[in-house]
Amino acid sequence: MKQFLRYASILLLLTGMSCSSPYKGLQQQEMGVSAYRFKPDVNKVIYRAIVDGRFVFKQFHLSGLLIIKQLESGTIRAVYQNELGPTLFDFEWNEQYDFEVKQIMEQLDKEAVIKTLRKDIEMLLMIGLKENSEILLTSGRGKKQFNRFNIEGGYVYYISNDGELSQIENANNRKRIVTVNIHDKEADSVMPEKVFIEHHKANFTISLTKL
Amino acid sequence: MRKGVTIFLLFLSSAVLAQPQGFNKVSDVTAFRSSLAKANDKVQNITSDFKQVKNISLLEEKINSNGKFYLKKPDKVRIEYTQPFKYIIVMNGNKIRIEDEGKSSTVNTGKMMQSINRVMTDCMQGTVFTNPDFKVEVYKNNKQYLLSLSPVNSTMKNLFQQIDVYMNNSSYDVEKLIMTEKGGDYTLMDFYNTRHNTSMNETVFKVR
Repeated sequence: MKQFLRYASILLLLTGMSCSSPYKGLQQQEMGVSAYRFKPDVNKVIYRAIVDGRFVFKQFHLSGLLIIKQLESGTIRAVYQNELGPTLFDFEWNEQYDFEVKQIMEQLDKEAVIKTLRKDIEMLLMIGLKENSEILLTSGRGKKQFNRFNIEGGYVYYISNDGELSQIENANNRKRIVTVNIHDKEADSVMPEKVFIEHHKANFTISLTKL
Repeated sequence: MRKGVTIFLLFLSSAVLAQPQGFNKVSDVTAFRSSLAKANDKVQNITSDFKQVKNISLLEEKINSNGKFYLKKPDKVRIEYTQPFKYIIVMNGNKIRIEDEGKSSTVNTGKMMQSINRVMTDCMQGTVFTNPDFKVEVYKNNKQYLLSLSPVNSTMKNLFQQIDVYMNNSSYDVEKLIMTEKGGDYTLMDFYNTRHNTSMNETVFKVR
């Protein structure tokens, strides 16, 4: 019985640890420079985009070109086209960042898929964040900074090392949902050369490489 | 009477507009189909180089790429992009193998890729008339036949507005393929150095 209780308490401890926030040890600091310095000027960017994943034992793969462009009106469009032609999705955000699906392939036309893809792009472009919710957290003697924003159902962390944006993470109070790894961002206001988006819950990845 | 003439002229002009510029409608489609079938009977495989141009309304510039195309009857296709990125897609029955930046994966084909595979093989091997997803109109000029494919079901209509296949009028080789989406964006593929019945290693179509 004693042994059972010991195992049970270890199990509970482990369960508790796995459910605790991955950002638990961070220290809140007085707000310094806002993470909005990393907000990219979209203008126009073309990525080669590869989506790999697994859904109920089935592997899936999508590839094509992802074009993100800001029109003169201020409207932002994100169009993902297959190499051989068909548009997989075409999303639009107007000047007020109201979102609209202009076109989407039948197989992707599901609320959860649209919500996920929309969030990924919004995190990259830094839109849809609750601006006044920003707080600054640090770890490693302040070297690593976590600028946290509230979004619906959780948070988005803009993680920078020595002033350079290295990751964007979406998490709730218990765990990470999405990790966006940023590579070769030449300047704060420029879209990165490479982006790797990992969906921990939904089990798929998106790899973006600038053309 | 004047109203009748106007309606007739409107009808005539719309008929002319519907006809691709520089091409006349082929009246004896049965004879064309028979010649095409005869030419294609001799072809077991096709290899070709291609240049691809993507015209996306959102962009001022066009996106160019090129590569190599392989087909083996009845349904094996390999499209190998070499520039500006290396990307290989092999469609063999209901399986697709993708090689991307050295990483290879085999996936089951989705409805969209199956449809693209079918229409590509049908266009390249001249069996478009048997494809139930499209209505085909045939036009010709002194150099080429033009097969204009219009989708007839909602799945295809969601993918394509029209597909135009330009064939050499003596060899029946496909020289140009234009896939136009419902929004007007299009992908154009120019095929050149086309060869038939070359010794082709079966491994190029390997999906496992």
